[in-house]
Amino acid sequence: MSYLEYNVKHVPAGLRKVLHVNWALLLLITAVAGVGFLMLYSVAGGSFSPWAEPQMKRYALGVVAMFVVAMVPIWFWRSVSGFAYLVSLILLVLVEVMGSVGMGAQRWIDLGFMRLQPSELMKITLVMCLAAYYDWLPPHKTSKPQWVLLPVLLVLIPTALVLRQPDLGTSILLLTGGAIVMFLAGVHWGYFAAVISMVVGLVVAVFQSRGTDWQLLKNYQYRRIDTFLDPSSDPLGAGYHITQSKIALGSGGWTGRGFMQGTQSRLNFLPEKHTDFIFTTLAEEFGYIGAISLLSLYALIVMFCIASALANKDRYSSLLTLGIAGAFFLFFAVNMSMVMGLAPVVGVPLPLVSYGGSAMLVLMVGFGLVQSAHVHRPR
Amino acid sequence: MIRKPLRPLASILHARDAGENPDQIERANLRERHEEMRNKGRARAEGRLLIMGVLFAGAFVTVGARMGVVSMSEAMEPRTSYAGSRIQAERADIVDRKGRILATNLETHSIYAHPHEMIDPAAAASKLAEIFPDLDAENLERRFRDGRKFYWVKKKISPEQKQAVHDIGEPGLLFGRREMRLYPNGRLAAHILGGASFGEEDVHDAELVGVAGAEKFFDDALRDPANGDKALTLSIDLTVQTAAERVLWGGMKLMNAKGASSVLMDAHTGEIVSMVSLPDFDPNNRPRPPAKGQAADSPLFNRAVQGLYELGSTFKIFTAAQSMELGLANPETKINTAGPLRWGKFKIRDFRNYGAQLTLTKVIVKSSNIGTARMAQVIGAARQQDFLKQLGFFEPTPVELVEASGAQPLLPKNWSELSTMTISYGHGMSASPLHLAAGYAAIANGGTKVVPTILKQDNVVQGPRVMTVASAEASRLMLRKVVSEGTASFGEVPGYAVGGKTGTADKPLENGRGYYEDKVIATFAAMFPAHDPKYVLILSLDEPVETSGDEPRRTAGWTAVPVAAEMITRVAPLLGLRPEVEPAPLAGITLTSN
Repeated sequence: MSYLEYNVKHVPAGLRKVLHVNWALLLLITAVAGVGFLMLYSVAGGSFSPWAEPQMKRYALGVVAMFVVAMVPIWFWRSVSGFAYLVSLILLVLVEVMGSVGMGAQRWIDLGFMRLQPSELMKITLVMCLAAYYDWLPPHKTSKPQWVLLPVLLVLIPTALVLRQPDLGTSILLLTGGAIVMFLAGVHWGYFAAVISMVVGLVVAVFQSRGTDWQLLKNYQYRRIDTFLDPSSDPLGAGYHITQSKIALGSGGWTGRGFMQGTQSRLNFLPEKHTDFIFTTLAEEFGYIGAISLLSLYALIVMFCIASALANKDRYSSLLTLGIAGAFFLFFAVNMSMVMGLAPVVGVPLPLVSYGGSAMLVLMVGFGLVQSAHVHRPR
Repeated sequence: MIRKPLRPLASILHARDAGENPDQIERANLRERHEEMRNKGRARAEGRLLIMGVLFAGAFVTVGARMGVVSMSEAMEPRTSYAGSRIQAERADIVDRKGRILATNLETHSIYAHPHEMIDPAAAASKLAEIFPDLDAENLERRFRDGRKFYWVKKKISPEQKQAVHDIGEPGLLFGRREMRLYPNGRLAAHILGGASFGEEDVHDAELVGVAGAEKFFDDALRDPANGDKALTLSIDLTVQTAAERVLWGGMKLMNAKGASSVLMDAHTGEIVSMVSLPDFDPNNRPRPPAKGQAADSPLFNRAVQGLYELGSTFKIFTAAQSMELGLANPETKINTAGPLRWGKFKIRDFRNYGAQLTLTKVIVKSSNIGTARMAQVIGAARQQDFLKQLGFFEPTPVELVEASGAQPLLPKNWSELSTMTISYGHGMSASPLHLAAGYAAIANGGTKVVPTILKQDNVVQGPRVMTVASAEASRLMLRKVVSEGTASFGEVPGYAVGGKTGTADKPLENGRGYYEDKVIATFAAMFPAHDPKYVLILSLDEPVETSGDEPRRTAGWTAVPVAAEMITRVAPLLGLRPEVEPAPLAGITLTSN
């Protein structure tokens, strides 16, 4: 349903918009980010540098960005969705061509004041683009094959580009994030059933192809799968992350060792302790109670987004909100599963908590869109 | 689906009739249709959302549950195994005949450095130099800083040293596991065991490879994982070996000799119960072979196995035994000992002039070169060679030491009649003390050949017969008389009737032309108890001088024999022999009629 059919006269204007921001959601986001600051302070050995302080600055910048995005009417964002998607696609191609090499994978574009990770940007713009597409598409065409093919391409092109970087984690997030939006938009379930069975077939093929000439994944990716299936097979090699993080979680117990008392993470046993594996620090220092609390905060954020989407009669707004909530959910679900040995180590940061610039900023922009949809909902 | 028309004709007509605006009907219908569509869309979206919500909730529960499980788990330290390691570090133990450890493995560690992981190379280098005084701090630091990724600091360290290095707290210093070969008895049986060192090494493990002696000879068997931890059992008796080494060392010092060796062999089985070569070394810290000087003077040299000496008069008994075996003589046969015996420009003399003739027994007892040479002339070169070959004097001893195969006896190129005569009293050919022990064992055990071995034998197969029991017994009686009334009178050990033969051979000049006047190898070849010999003992001293008298005495009777007597006194009880009264010798008639 389009805004054209609603009376938008009652949408707040000017500074009144600030009152209508979803403050509870902002509070939850700040709480999660605060947990992140605590953890970064702790892994640095009780110091704001090198991680906690820049992270706080970025968060402040992120809050400002969120408000800026939230103040802009949602119909503006809808109209630029396609353009935003195109821009991030071009940036993705650019990193492919001329990106500087970081950690063995080409993922950055150096903008001077910050390093931009187009794959992060794409997580949001893909959701925007798909939401705009389904808003534009008459509902009775949703499940027509030709109208399903277009969004599938919209998802697969950036996924393939990110996979080439190579960043398996982000490409999985893009793929599943896109699928969530399409599912919520009401694409016939038969397509999903078909895709899922194809994926199962592909997984079988991937394993069958191992060691042959047409091997589908890199050897290190196979090794990660192997270690996921049996981490103890190589505790000092590829299984090191998982084994160490399990030790950290185990040593935390119910109540944890106490703030700044974690041995496993602070004694440098864990690589990437401030990025992908920061959850282990939390689990070790605050135990099961701390970990389940963070999980609950994440769940609350997702639930607030869903509530906001349900209350919103605009199709674009609700699809966008749900898409961003879904992407957010995927972020932390994949990261936590990875840390706890439920999923292979694919390199997905813990949203709002892990140290990292573009991830934080892009996520805050995403929440800005959610807020904009909330503020400018038809009344 | 039948859609409700937006402008139903009947209604419009009806409205027109009523004078209302028919467009309002269309508008109302349109709104109705839109609402219907919207409600349907929302219902569908909410259904989908419900499914997603269930999936999300499932994920939350899974992650939460997993968190609980992992939090409850015991923190397990990672263990890693090197099952696939291509380096086989295990090595079986070596034990003596009673199962006492001669060689075993000790777990130790090596230190290596990953300089690129170091925090403070300078501090690490100086602290390492404190712990290991033989390391140079500056040198170490230079190596830590020259860009290499890997550096061996030390190959073997003690647990205390490991703790000290650990306490440096330098993450770039790492430890590797090492199995080290340990010889807990130090120098005991050093030449038999030989030694072991590291072969192929990597960071985690190093191969232990035998470098000499039994360790090298049995290298494959000791390292074969199929053998499991089954120890290699030698024929050596640790207590006997200890006593023999002490006595020989004391005797060597007392007789001012520069080297000494002894072989104690079971006369029936050929098992070597003890074998000593002095000077010796510590196999735990095996010295490098000397770069200069004679290899034979190195502590690594096993005189008993590798040393080839002209064994002198100890050979005479073989000539006597063979002449009796061939029926050419009996113990009472008179032999012409008038001297000197001229052969071309060569003269054979005796130590003293023994008169015109002696019985064969007396020839041996008094050790007459002339008498022995004359018998050898009768025997002839071919038969002499044949006999010596049967006793094993033509081949290296087959003992299971890697050095043995190199000890090929030195034989004359041209076995002339003169060679036959000189060899009959032990000059002109060289063999090792171990060869001599095997030869004497054949006489001692009643005439069968023995194969010298350092492995404990469980069931012994009797070797081929080289002489009749009678010849062997007659020879044994002669040897007994050498001790009881001849040149080896210092060899008497009360309770253990010793038989034996002395041998004093001049050492050849290094240039190979002639002999030293004042350097001898003094050998005493003995067997005990003489009436039923169980063991053979060969003891030889290199360049002994006995100086208690007016003039220096070098003959075996004054040097090797008393040392051998002392050794028998010490080891015979350890071997389980009880002192006993010697049975009275049987009448000569019985002997000859045999």
